[in-house]
Amino acid sequence: MKKLFIVAAAFCLPLAALAQDDLLAELEKQDSAVAKENITIATFKSTRVINMNSTEITGLNNLQFMIIHHFGSLWDNTESTGANFARLFGMNAGFANTYMSFDYTPVRWMNLGFAFAGDINLEGTAKFKIMRQQTGKRNYPVSIAWVSTARVNASSKEPPQDDLVWNKFSYLNQMLIARKFSNAFSLQLVPSMIHYNLVPYGSANSNTTWSIGIGGRMKITEKTAITFEYNRQLNNYENVIDKTGEIVSYSPNLISLGYDWDTGGHIFQFFFSNSTFASNIPQLTVNPEKENIGQWCIGFNLNRSYALKKTVKIE
Amino acid sequence: MKKLFSLAAILILFNSAAVAQKYSTRDGYLYFNPNKNQSNKEYQAASKEATAVLKVETSEVALLVPMKTFHFNNALLEEHFNENYLHTNKYPNGKYSGKLIGFNKDMLTKDGVYKISSEGEMELHGVKKAFKSPVTLTVKGKTATFNCEFTVKAADFNIEIPDLVKPKLAEATPLLANITFPMNL
Repeated sequence: MKKLFIVAAAFCLPLAALAQDDLLAELEKQDSAVAKENITIATFKSTRVINMNSTEITGLNNLQFMIIHHFGSLWDNTESTGANFARLFGMNAGFANTYMSFDYTPVRWMNLGFAFAGDINLEGTAKFKIMRQQTGKRNYPVSIAWVSTARVNASSKEPPQDDLVWNKFSYLNQMLIARKFSNAFSLQLVPSMIHYNLVPYGSANSNTTWSIGIGGRMKITEKTAITFEYNRQLNNYENVIDKTGEIVSYSPNLISLGYDWDTGGHIFQFFFSNSTFASNIPQLTVNPEKENIGQWCIGFNLNRSYALKKTVKIE
Repeated sequence: MKKLFSLAAILILFNSAAVAQKYSTRDGYLYFNPNKNQSNKEYQAASKEATAVLKVETSEVALLVPMKTFHFNNALLEEHFNENYLHTNKYPNGKYSGKLIGFNKDMLTKDGVYKISSEGEMELHGVKKAFKSPVTLTVKGKTATFNCEFTVKAADFNIEIPDLVKPKLAEATPLLANITFPMNL
């Protein structure tokens, strides 16, 4: 009889153990057993670092409307202090460049954009997300994106007047390699190639301009960050013959300092930059020499995105 | 000796029966809209990947949802949800463990709609809080669906909402949980 009780007790044991074990612990164990994809998100706040594209891409089925605005230069040396005050440090100088773009993401890895690039130019952009920084199932140390932009001068007056339409086109190809080092700090490397179908004739002129850039951001709070950017043009900037036949030099350096502010709905990016152009193609090829800080400009990027296709439903 | 064997056999059977009386699912549905205006579709978010388990004998339930499986209509809001509000890298899962009140196993064998409730502890953003809410159990054939509508206050879970965003959001976010257990075991 004693034996019987022991056996009975022994069989009861697993039952007792089962009754005690924690259901939640069981789920947690299940959850941690599955290999996860820890995909890094929000390497940058916006689809732009400052002037350059970032590896971020507008969300799936979302349309982003973006305005890039570059005011006039901060200080005009040829004018008096009073006149410069009246110009409001370039913000009301009767001169500004604006870039308005609509970017839609039909599939997770591709964004298509159309932009009114300012100064009678139109731009079409395709951006591809090639690699996403992640750990877990796969280990990728960086995010990689590719940007291709075609720009057309839509002016009917600009020379060449009765030239082939293809001569009005120029292109930008850019590779973006970014890494989010910590929650606050991200860095991006940007090699770019710009091709003009037509350039003025001259020994230093080439259809293709190369440049390399670096950009980064450092978060101050959850919603704000400091950003910086430096691009260096590698050729086609010294003693170039321009459209009017004059020999000019461009600034090979494109420097920008910015401040990101995420309001929850919009993303504002305020910045100082040494280019008053709002589009990447002129910024990286024909940026006039602007060495002293007075010739820099204030600018901002503003964007907002809308869910065009509502996939979430109440069930 | 014969007696001993029959007892052992009964115990084994009973044990395995107890094990079988546990139902689980991997595709529990959770939905919420943090906007004050519940018809604002940009803010709609849902996860279809909540895991849940129900132990019939003890009426115990548990639920775990990986926060990154919540998808918003507006991708930017999803990014904010993960990056700025719920910090899902640090706190990857939302959890609940508790008991069903007024539940008995006979409900699962008879089709019908039963009003019961659940009481337990919920964990979100690393903060644990007591939870109590009415639950509707719908049994139909070989499925048991638990429906629960409840609200969550961001402040209760140390989720900081900036002043600029506050006017847009509901004071208490209504959530909807829809957990269906198949009972084919």
